[in-house]
Amino acid sequence: MDDLIFILAITLKSSIPVLLASLGEIITERSGILNLGVEGMMLVGALAGFVVGQQSGSLLLGFGGAMAAGMLLALVHAFFCIHLRASQVISGLAVTILATGLSSFLGRPFIGRVGIHLGSLPVGPLAEVPLVGPVLAQQNWLCLAALALVPLTAWALAGSWPGLSIRAVGEDPEAADAAGVPVAPIRYACTLFGGLLAGLGGAYLSLVYTPGWKEGMTGGQGWIAIAMVIFATWRPGRALLGALLFGGLTALQFYFQATGAELVPAWILRLLPYLLTVGILFLVTVLKRTRFGAAPAALGQPFFRG
Amino acid sequence: MNSRRTVVLVALMLAVSLILAPAGNAAAKKIKVAFALLWTIDDMGWTTAAYNGIEYLKEQMGDQVEVSYTEKVLAADAERVIRDYARKGYDIIFGTTFEHMDPMLMVAKDFPKTVFEHCSGYKTAPNMGNYFARMYQGEFLSGYLAGLMGFKNVGTVATNPIPEPIRGINAFTIGLIKGLKEAGHKFDPNNVNTVVWLKAWRDPINETTLAETLISRKHDLIRQMADTPDSSLAACAKGVPAIGYGADAAKYGAKCVLVSPIWNWGPYFVEVVKQVQAGTWKPTPYWGGFDKNNIALTDFNASVPEAVRQKVLAQKKLLVEGTDNIFVGPIYDQKGKLMIPEGKKATDKELLTMRWLIKGVSGKIPD
Repeated sequence: MDDLIFILAITLKSSIPVLLASLGEIITERSGILNLGVEGMMLVGALAGFVVGQQSGSLLLGFGGAMAAGMLLALVHAFFCIHLRASQVISGLAVTILATGLSSFLGRPFIGRVGIHLGSLPVGPLAEVPLVGPVLAQQNWLCLAALALVPLTAWALAGSWPGLSIRAVGEDPEAADAAGVPVAPIRYACTLFGGLLAGLGGAYLSLVYTPGWKEGMTGGQGWIAIAMVIFATWRPGRALLGALLFGGLTALQFYFQATGAELVPAWILRLLPYLLTVGILFLVTVLKRTRFGAAPAALGQPFFRG
Repeated sequence: MNSRRTVVLVALMLAVSLILAPAGNAAAKKIKVAFALLWTIDDMGWTTAAYNGIEYLKEQMGDQVEVSYTEKVLAADAERVIRDYARKGYDIIFGTTFEHMDPMLMVAKDFPKTVFEHCSGYKTAPNMGNYFARMYQGEFLSGYLAGLMGFKNVGTVATNPIPEPIRGINAFTIGLIKGLKEAGHKFDPNNVNTVVWLKAWRDPINETTLAETLISRKHDLIRQMADTPDSSLAACAKGVPAIGYGADAAKYGAKCVLVSPIWNWGPYFVEVVKQVQAGTWKPTPYWGGFDKNNIALTDFNASVPEAVRQKVLAQKKLLVEGTDNIFVGPIYDQKGKLMIPEGKKATDKELLTMRWLIKGVSGKIPD
């Protein structure tokens, strides 16, 4: 029982950065912009979060700084993709390369420094609730916020006016434009929102999960988030599922090592999430437009009026 | 006649000055030393340790050396960086990680007058030596300390399953069991140290997850082996003590670390420069431990009892004096097979190729 609680707790706790970043990427991609800069935005978020937090002593400012940094970088991407209509793939990759170098350079004086970090939730009497209590006791408020964001974004995309506009812009920008939906501003907003969440996901690492700044500390989580969007077929609920699956498989892998009981070979556990992603990409491509889900029709295409 | 004599005299003077000039130059000549580093000098582990050695070299040799280094010299880039230094006329070039070995060997053949020193490998050439430090001695001492303090269910966050970490895990466990026995603690002889693998030298996210997994499995001490201090930090956050590795983990905020065995390359760098200065340098495989001051222990945590400190320091003194009986048999592997017979000491070759875990370690070496 203790082991189950632990596996659930670590699964939830470790999947938050990927969840946040992939929720942001879903919104961005639903508006038609492919953002391959997520890894870079997470890195600058991690750095900015740590530095602002350490200098100001305030977690709120730290997370705020991280979101601002992620957004700033997203603004660069948005400017190139929307304003200049540059290749989104190249711009995204350039942003990641830029951010990797920049964060490594700017972060030098902060390596090994001890900063602040966000502690676990005070759950109070909830701790007595079996299973849920002990699992929750190991989480934090950012984790709850991320979880709350899932139904919120799902609902917004499904029915709200802004959500419908985002989808219209991502599926058929010409029609949306003709209907009076402001294509460029919406795409800007969605890209910035994606950067904000990626930055927050990065700060989760440097202020919550592994407190402190280390060069390249995101370790590819940004790329996993992008894969997760495909895995989730551009739907927030499925992104949560995917993030938990990713986190769960990692937790299980380590758990098997620690107990010496290997029910499933580690290499299968390691391979599974990627295999599933490839499989789903295949399904999405082959089945094209089904109820199962498909990529936004105008994803990656710059919009020219007229 | 007079003019001829002058000519002879001038010629003689010229000849003498030509013979003397290089000798005179050599005495005043700075030794140019270059280092190819694996990662950044503030990586909190391996490269930080190498950099501390460079600082020590500069401190000791002052004006007599001119030192340069390049960071992040990965395998693909190593030959270019090393060749570049050789071309620029550096006298000694250090390659500080295993992957620099083959590229360095290639460059060494083209620059026979340059001295090359490679860390952690096994290939040498007439102008290329290799060097390493017996970190396992420090790991043995930290295990001994943990055993004396009664930790009998250690969780180790190991790095890559190659001989160096494997040897370290074994040495730590030998020390741990020795400490437990001496302090009269009861323990399970098959299971005192559980090992999980990171399969990386640094990976803060997974270090944290692995350490938390071990803590939730009720391991009473976390042993860090990665460059980054995150497994120690995760232990401290959960109120479990830890053992650091490579560099002083306590300096990076892991206040619960009992002790960290650390690399101390400085003395070796100085030795090589002095040998090159004196013209006595020879390519040797060099493997120094406490005896050569290539390994050190950090200060103990305040929670380590005085009696334990004295015992650990007494063991350290033996090592400093050159008595290294860590891998003396009988030593059994996990399945109980006798690997080092009674009274026999493992050779350096056996240690350098070690690919089995000793009895007392739980967990296996991944493929």
